[in-house]
Amino acid sequence: MAETKLVTITIDGKAYQVPAGSNLVDAAKWHADNDIPVFCYHPKMAPVGMCRMCVVELGMVEKDRATGEVIMENGQPKVRWMPKLQTACTQVATDGMVVRTDTDKVKAGRESVIEFLLTSHPLDCPICDKGGECPLQNLTMAHGNGVSRMNFADKLKLDKHVPLGDLIYLDEERCIQCARCIRFQDEIVGDDVLAFHERGRRLQIITKSDPGFDTYFSGNTTDICPVGALTTADFRFGARPWELTDVPSICPHDAAGTNISLSTRLDRDFGGRAMIKRVMPRQNEAVNEIWISDRTRFVHHFTRSDDRLQSPMVRRGERLSPTVWNEAIPALAEVLKAANGDVAVLAGGGASNEDLWELRQLLKGLGSERLGAWTTHSGAELLLEVGVGKGSNLGTLGKGDAILVVASDLEEEVPMWYLRVKQAQDRGAFLAVANHRPTRLAEIASQTERKVASQTERKPLVGKSVLYEAGKAAHWLNDLANSDPELYNTLKDAQNLVIIAGAEGLDWDGGRALMQAAANLLIAGGHVGKPNNGLMATLPEANGMGLQYLGYTTQNALDIIKNPPSVLITAQCDPLGDDPTAGSWMSKVNTLITLTLFPDDTTQRAAFALPVQSFAERDGTFINGERRVQRFYTAQGPMGDALPLWEIIARLRERLGQGRAKVSAAAVMLELSNHLPSFNGIRYKDLAQVERQYPDVGGKDLYYGGTAYQNKGGLGVQLPTTADNGSAPTTGTVNLPEVKQAKKGELLLIPTVRLYNRSHIMRPSALIANRVAKPFAALNNADAKKLGIKHGDRVEVRFNGGQATVTAQVSDSTPQGVVFVPRYLADTPTPMVITSASVVKVSDAVAVQ
Amino acid sequence: MNIIKGFRTTFKHLLEEPVTLQYPEQMRPFEARYKGRHHLRRYENGLEKCIGCALCAAACPADAIWVEAAENTDEERYSPGERYAKTYEINMLRCIFCGYCEDACPTQAIELGHEHQLSFTDRRDAIYTKEMLIDPVPSGGKPTPQKVEAGAFDRAIPDMPDPK
Amino acid sequence: MAIIGNKKYQERINEHLAKYPDKRSAVMPLLYIAQEEYGWVNDEGIAEVAQLCDMDATQVKSIAGFYTMYSEKPKGKYWLQVCTDLACALRGADELHHELLHELGIEEGGTTEDGMFTAEHVMCLAGCDRAPMLQCNFHFVEAVGGLTMAHLRELIAAARQDDKTLQKLIAKWRDEVNKQVQQS
Repeated sequence: MAETKLVTITIDGKAYQVPAGSNLVDAAKWHADNDIPVFCYHPKMAPVGMCRMCVVELGMVEKDRATGEVIMENGQPKVRWMPKLQTACTQVATDGMVVRTDTDKVKAGRESVIEFLLTSHPLDCPICDKGGECPLQNLTMAHGNGVSRMNFADKLKLDKHVPLGDLIYLDEERCIQCARCIRFQDEIVGDDVLAFHERGRRLQIITKSDPGFDTYFSGNTTDICPVGALTTADFRFGARPWELTDVPSICPHDAAGTNISLSTRLDRDFGGRAMIKRVMPRQNEAVNEIWISDRTRFVHHFTRSDDRLQSPMVRRGERLSPTVWNEAIPALAEVLKAANGDVAVLAGGGASNEDLWELRQLLKGLGSERLGAWTTHSGAELLLEVGVGKGSNLGTLGKGDAILVVASDLEEEVPMWYLRVKQAQDRGAFLAVANHRPTRLAEIASQTERKVASQTERKPLVGKSVLYEAGKAAHWLNDLANSDPELYNTLKDAQNLVIIAGAEGLDWDGGRALMQAAANLLIAGGHVGKPNNGLMATLPEANGMGLQYLGYTTQNALDIIKNPPSVLITAQCDPLGDDPTAGSWMSKVNTLITLTLFPDDTTQRAAFALPVQSFAERDGTFINGERRVQRFYTAQGPMGDALPLWEIIARLRERLGQGRAKVSAAAVMLELSNHLPSFNGIRYKDLAQVERQYPDVGGKDLYYGGTAYQNKGGLGVQLPTTADNGSAPTTGTVNLPEVKQAKKGELLLIPTVRLYNRSHIMRPSALIANRVAKPFAALNNADAKKLGIKHGDRVEVRFNGGQATVTAQVSDSTPQGVVFVPRYLADTPTPMVITSASVVKVSDAVAVQ
Repeated sequence: MNIIKGFRTTFKHLLEEPVTLQYPEQMRPFEARYKGRHHLRRYENGLEKCIGCALCAAACPADAIWVEAAENTDEERYSPGERYAKTYEINMLRCIFCGYCEDACPTQAIELGHEHQLSFTDRRDAIYTKEMLIDPVPSGGKPTPQKVEAGAFDRAIPDMPDPK
Repeated sequence: MAIIGNKKYQERINEHLAKYPDKRSAVMPLLYIAQEEYGWVNDEGIAEVAQLCDMDATQVKSIAGFYTMYSEKPKGKYWLQVCTDLACALRGADELHHELLHELGIEEGGTTEDGMFTAEHVMCLAGCDRAPMLQCNFHFVEAVGGLTMAHLRELIAAARQDDKTLQKLIAKWRDEVNKQVQQS
C-alpha cells in the first residue's frame, strides 16, 4: 500500500499523528486508545451515521487566511468549534482537527442517545443470547443514565421470534435499526437479501429470498448485531456467554483455514464433557478477517455425532466386531509385519500434519514410500514453487491488481475466498472468472458497478467472466495468449496477480495441466516469489496443502490404484464412498486398514476400522491453501475410544519396534519440522504468536467490531515457496490431456461441489438439512429434449461403477453434451472425476414440484 | 456465706422457664428472613417461574448452581417466557445460603425457604435436582409441561408479577 | 392474473422500463401497476416486480413497506385516509378519525365486512390549508368549513349507493370550496 500522509489531530488535549483521511472513530481507537462508543458504525463497512452514539465535540484550529499560520489565543491555538455535536464516524481525520470526547456536552449527548434507544427496548437481557456480550448492555452501563423515564407499559410490542431462514432468528423488539446486518449483506457479501420494511419505530428487518436469508454468510450478522436482535438457531439458549470457554481452532472444511473460536461448556447433554456450543470467528486479517461462512459456523455437530465410529473394530469372519486398542494394535502390527513392506497409505485432507508425519514414518520403517493423496485436485506440487508469496493477504489486493479464478465454483468450494475475492474487486482489482458454466462469482465478476463497503455510492468495477468448453480449463488457459490477448495481457501485466485454480471438470492429468498453465502465466508475468502474487488451489478439506508438504501425492495414489498393495491404510478418506469405480482395484487389496471418523463405505470392506478423533477433540496443525501452518487446540471431550490419528500410529510404531511413541502432538511437530526443511523448524510456540490486528476488534469494546474474538491462539506461520527462497522457477510444459469424450448417445458427467451436501460430516447438522439441495443432475435444454426429459423429472444417471436416481434440472446454463452431478447429494456414490454417463428418465415430475 | 449466695442463683434459675428445646421433636420458630434450602416457585396456573436465565448461577459465590436452558413450545410449555430450565441443580454441600441467587432472580422464581435439616450420607445426595426443588402444582393449576394455545405467550420474559 | 405477460399492462411496463438507464429505477411505477392489478401489493406482485427490475424481492418489499401509498394488506373498494399530523390534529382530526372508525365499525387500518371501506390515519397529505384532510382512493376530499362527521356520513352513504354518486358529491364539495376561495 502507498504511504499515506500523516496529519495531526488533537483528541482530548493530546496531539496524535494519524493517516490523513482515516475514520475518526478508527483513528481515535488505534492511535489514541480512545474508545468512541458506536452502534451503527463498523470498521469493515461504510459509515452511515444512523445511531448518533459516536457524537463528539469537533473543531478546527483556526489559521490566518493570508499567512496560513495558526492563530494563537492565550498561548493556545484558537479553535473554531462546531456549534453542535458531530458524529465521529462520519468524519475523517484532517490536519488541525480538534476533538473532545470527555466533556459534559458529549456525555449528555451519549446519555440521551442511550435513553432514546432504550425507550422501547425490551428488558430481555436475562434470557437473551447476547446478554453478557451485548454492546447495548455494555454501553448502557458505561454511558446510560441508569434510570428510565419511560413507562414500561408503553413499550411497543412486536414479534419476538421471527425466523429469517432456518439459521437466524430475529427479535423485532430488540432491533435498534443500525442496519449493520443489511449493510453487511449488501456491501460485503453482495447478497442483498435483507432490507428494512416500514418506517419509524415499526421499522423491521425482512427477507423475501427463497429460502429465507439466502446466503452462505448469514451467521456473521449475529456477530456484528449490536443487540440481541439477530441470534443463531444453533446456539439458541445453549448457554450464557460468561459460562463459555473459548478454544482457538481452525475450520476443518476447506482450504481457507478460517480461524475460529470454539465456545465450549461442560454439558449434561454430552455426559458432562466439554462440548462445542457454538463456533465463532477469530480475527486473522490475513486469513478470514473477522468473518466465517455458515458451513464453518453451523457444521460442528459431526464431532459428537452418535454415528461416529467409537471403538476399534476388527473383522471376524463377515462381521466387524468391536475390540480394544490393546488387542487391535498388536494384531495390526502382525498384519503389517507380514506384509513385508507391501504397504501403502491413502490419506485425505482431513488428517493433520502430525497424523501424516506419523504415517509417513510408519511406512518408512516398513520399507515403503507409497504415500498417496486422496483428493480431486492434482498439481499441488506447483504450489510449493509458485504458490502465493510469503506475506500475501487477499485483503490487500486492490486497484491495479488482478485475480483469476479458473475451474472452480468458489462460493461453493471455499466461501471465505469467494468473500475476499469479491471484496478485492470492490477495492478495484480486476477479477477474471473462467469456468464451463455460469457461477455466482462469474456473475459478480461481470458486474460493472455495485455498492461496496467503504463507499456509499455505487462504484465502477473491472472484471470479466469467460465460459470455455466443458473440461477444457487447461486448454483455455494455455492458449489464452492467442485466444484472448487482451485478457492475457491484463492478467500478465497486472501489478499483482493471484490465480485460484479449482479442479471442476478435470481429472488428475487435466488438473496438473491447469496448474502448470497457471504457473506458466505467473512466471511469464513475473508474478512469483513476492507477496500477493502466485498460485492458490481450492484443495478440498483443511489440510490438502499438508498432504503435499508431507509427501503425499496424487501420482502415488495413481500408482496405488494401478498396483494395489497387499496392505492398504486409508487415513480419513473414503475411496469406496467417493468413487464408484474404486471397488475394482480395492478388491485386489488383501488387508484394508481404515482410520476414520465415521463408519463409511470403506469401513464396510476393511479388516480393521480404527476410530480417530476429530479436529475438536485433539490438537494439531493444518496448512491452508495459502501455505499458512495453523494450530488448533483441544476443545471438546473425546468420543468413545477414538484417539488422535497420530497417536494410533505412534502406538503401532512402538509395537513394531520403531521407537517410543511420542507423548504429544507438539513432540511430533518438533520431529517433523526438524526433519523437513520446508517447515523451517517451526514449533508450536511459533504458531501461537499473535500481534495486534487492524481494525482492533474483539476487545472489551464489543460494540466496535462485534463478537468476533480477538486472536489469542496464534496467527500461524506462512511457509515460503521455493520462489520466495530465491530459486527462480522455470516454466514447464503443459501436458494437455485428451479431453474425455462422452460415449455415443451418452453425456459427459462432470462432478460439481455444493457447500451443503449429504456427506458424513454434514448429515449430523440438522439445521443445515433444509438447505441441502435435493439430489439433482443439471442438463442442457437441447440434450433433455433429445432424451425426452423435462425439468423436474426423476432420472437415473448411469456411469461406470454405479448409478444414481436424481431429479433433472433442465436449463440453458448447462453446456450441451454435459450433465452436472453434484457430489455427496445422491444416496449412492457418484463419480469423483469427469466420466461418460447415460441419463434415463424414470418417472415424470411430481405434480407438486 | 458464699455457698448460699451461689445456691440462690441455682434455685432462682430452677424456677424459671427452661430455654432449651427438645430438638428435633420441638422446633424453634424461624425469623421470616431465615435462609434455608431453596424452592423453585410456580405461578397460580402451574407454570414455572424459572426462565432458565442462569443469573443465579452467575451470582452464586460458591458455584453451587447448575442451569441448562431449553426453549418452550406451545405444545410443551414449562414457563411463560421463551425458555425454561431444563436442568436445575443446587449442590447443597457447596451452597453457603447467602441468598444471592434470590437477589439475582429476575422472576422471583428461586426463594430460600426455612428448611435447614440437610444432611446426607452420600455426596451425590447433596445435589438437589429441579424435581426436588420445585413447588408442587397449586390447586387450580396444571402440571408442566402444559399444552397451550398458540401465540398465547409471546413475551421473552413474562411481564411482572403474574403473567396472563 | 399476473402483470407479466398481461396485455393490459404490457405497454406501460415497457414504457417505464425504457425510461431509466437502470432497470431498478422503474420499481415504483411498476409497484403501482401491481397494486392496480391485485388491489394491494401482494407477494406475487412483489415477485413479479422483482423479476422485471432484476432486484431481490426483499428490496422490492422494502420499498413497498416504506411508502404509505402502497398497501400491503387487501383493501376495501374505498381507501379512506385521515391525516392526523399537527395542522389537522389542531382542527380535530383525531376525533374525526376515531368517529369515522366507529361509524364504520372497524379498527385502525381495518376493512368493513362488506369490503367497501378501509380507514386509517396517515401522515401529512399536504393539504394543511383545508384541515382536517381526508383522502379517498388518493383523491382529496374537502368541504367548505372543513370536513365534519356529517360530511363523512354523507360520503359513506353516497359511496354505498354507487361510485358515480360519490364522485359527484366529492366534485360538488370541491366546487363549493373553490368558489369560496375565489370569492375571498
